[in-house]
Amino acid sequence: MLALNNIQVLYDKSIEAVRDVSLEVPAGAIVALLGSNGAGKSTILKAISGVLGQEDGEITSGVIHLEGNAISGETPRAIIQHGLLQVPEGRALFATLTVEENLLMGGFTRTRAETAEELERVYTLFPRVHERRTQTAGYLSGGEQQMVAIGRALMGRPRLLMLDEPSLGLAPQIVDVIFEAILGLNHNTGLTVLLVEQNAQLALQVSSYGYIIENGRIVLDGKAEKLRANDDVQEFYLGFAGGARKSMRDVKHYKRRKRWLS
Amino acid sequence: MDFLMLLISTGLVSGAAYGLIAMGFALVYKSTGVVNFAQGEIVMLTAYIAFSIANGLHLSFVPLVLVTIPISMLIGLVLERIFIRPMLGEPVFAIVMATVGLAVILRSATIMIWGSEPFNFTAGMSTAVIKLGGIPFYPAQLYLMAALGMVVLAIWLFLRFSRYGIAMRAVAANETAALLTGVSVNQVHALAWMLSSGIAAVAGLLFAANFKLAPDIWFQGLKSFPAVILGGMDSVTGAALGGLIIGLIENLSQGYIGEGMREIAGFIVIILVLMIRPYGLFGSRDIERV
Ligand SMILES: Nc1ncnc2c1ncn2[C@@H]1O[C@H](COP(=O)(O)OP(=O)(O)OP(=O)(O)O)[C@@H](O)[C@H]1O
Ligand SMILES: [Mg+2]
Repeated sequence: MLALNNIQVLYDKSIEAVRDVSLEVPAGAIVALLGSNGAGKSTILKAISGVLGQEDGEITSGVIHLEGNAISGETPRAIIQHGLLQVPEGRALFATLTVEENLLMGGFTRTRAETAEELERVYTLFPRVHERRTQTAGYLSGGEQQMVAIGRALMGRPRLLMLDEPSLGLAPQIVDVIFEAILGLNHNTGLTVLLVEQNAQLALQVSSYGYIIENGRIVLDGKAEKLRANDDVQEFYLGFAGGARKSMRDVKHYKRRKRWLS
Repeated sequence: MDFLMLLISTGLVSGAAYGLIAMGFALVYKSTGVVNFAQGEIVMLTAYIAFSIANGLHLSFVPLVLVTIPISMLIGLVLERIFIRPMLGEPVFAIVMATVGLAVILRSATIMIWGSEPFNFTAGMSTAVIKLGGIPFYPAQLYLMAALGMVVLAIWLFLRFSRYGIAMRAVAANETAALLTGVSVNQVHALAWMLSSGIAAVAGLLFAANFKLAPDIWFQGLKSFPAVILGGMDSVTGAALGGLIIGLIENLSQGYIGEGMREIAGFIVIILVLMIRPYGLFGSRDIERV
């Protein structure tokens, strides 16, 4: 459904945040994009949504296809209208607007009737959001804000939903509520999901395929169960070995050296 | 007692003019983060345009307003497109400097077209004095205060309930998130300029009708700054109230403290506000986009 081919992103025409990234999200799937701080995950989502310009960033090479059509270079609005919606990192609610106004904004590209219908659906999905609908969004708890952020994206009627670290800073019970909602949407409505996470444990449980990104490059990809079983992933992302966090690149380097020596 | 009532009523009248002009500032600042130093010049220009329309078409007050507002909004749209849009992505400071340049251009253009001699301009209103509760008013004074009330109500309804009004507040709250919901930030910026020019026209027309139509109307823009700062830069209704308060303070201090206070009272208020409550009475606390 969505395919990135050899994407390179530069900020300020000089800082290379993403290099030669190719990834694919098949329709109906949940695909995870994993990596530690500063790896380039959010940059990839911003590139897909067409909002890099806000930070002086630019796709300098490569192309993004949605169902075979190139969408890189289109306006954020056009990309949304293709059904590509993003729940940005840190939730990015309109803090001074009420919860319901935030949701209504999510339906900005949709008709009045569609917006009303979708609003009901979001309130059914997250009853907590319904309870808080008249409150100022900035004063909600982190978990409630995340629900509103997801609800706001759902208001735009996504076919593909991109979530940027939805579990960040949230209590485990809230994370469960949120992931159940996402899994439910995927299961019941066939919503395709691109899930960005640092929490690999969680992400590899819910996804069918995963990509691991480091320093702006994809260093490993594969079926989720394969990645879960992979020793290096276990050691560096699932925290089994417990030792100091090295990077995947160090591992490769080390392996190469090992081969060399043996 | 009569003296006090007179000071209050004239204070509210000039305060209503400040309030209208301040609302124009706040609207553009709120949605674009730019202090438009040409706001006073847009007030001046649209007042002259209203004057020419009134002379050409012999319109009475209400039709004159209804014709002038859309023309002024169009002017706002054009000014934004020519002077501000090309600067998109430049530092805010550079854009503010562009508005200073725009101000100078509008001032000279107005003098080139209409000359520097003042005109009497009744804006299609009668000049017969009306007594309200024993206090004499000119119709122009009453219209000015009524206009402030109507514009405040209209803008409040717009920002609170309309799709684009909510979008305008959303852009002010988080521009990138607004883009991610499909709002065109450019459109919202253009809309802010249109609306603030429309409000400027109401202010200019009524200010000229109350005093005189002269090129120095632009100075009312600067004189409205205390109102914007008191109201809190990004609060449109706060700006209106700030205007009324400044108008009252100016007139009362002029009446009771002494001649000349009118000119400086507002700026004393600015300094006090900036020291005590820099985000104004109604502004949001975390104003970081100056
Ligand atoms: N606006 C910007 N200007 C310059 N460099 C940037 C900008 N945004 C991100 N970067 C750089 O690009 C790289 C990737 O950043 P990005 O935000 O995509 O990482 P991330 O994987 O989302 O990290 P995190 O998990 O911390 O959110 C980092 O090295 C970062 O410093
Ligand atoms: Mg990130």
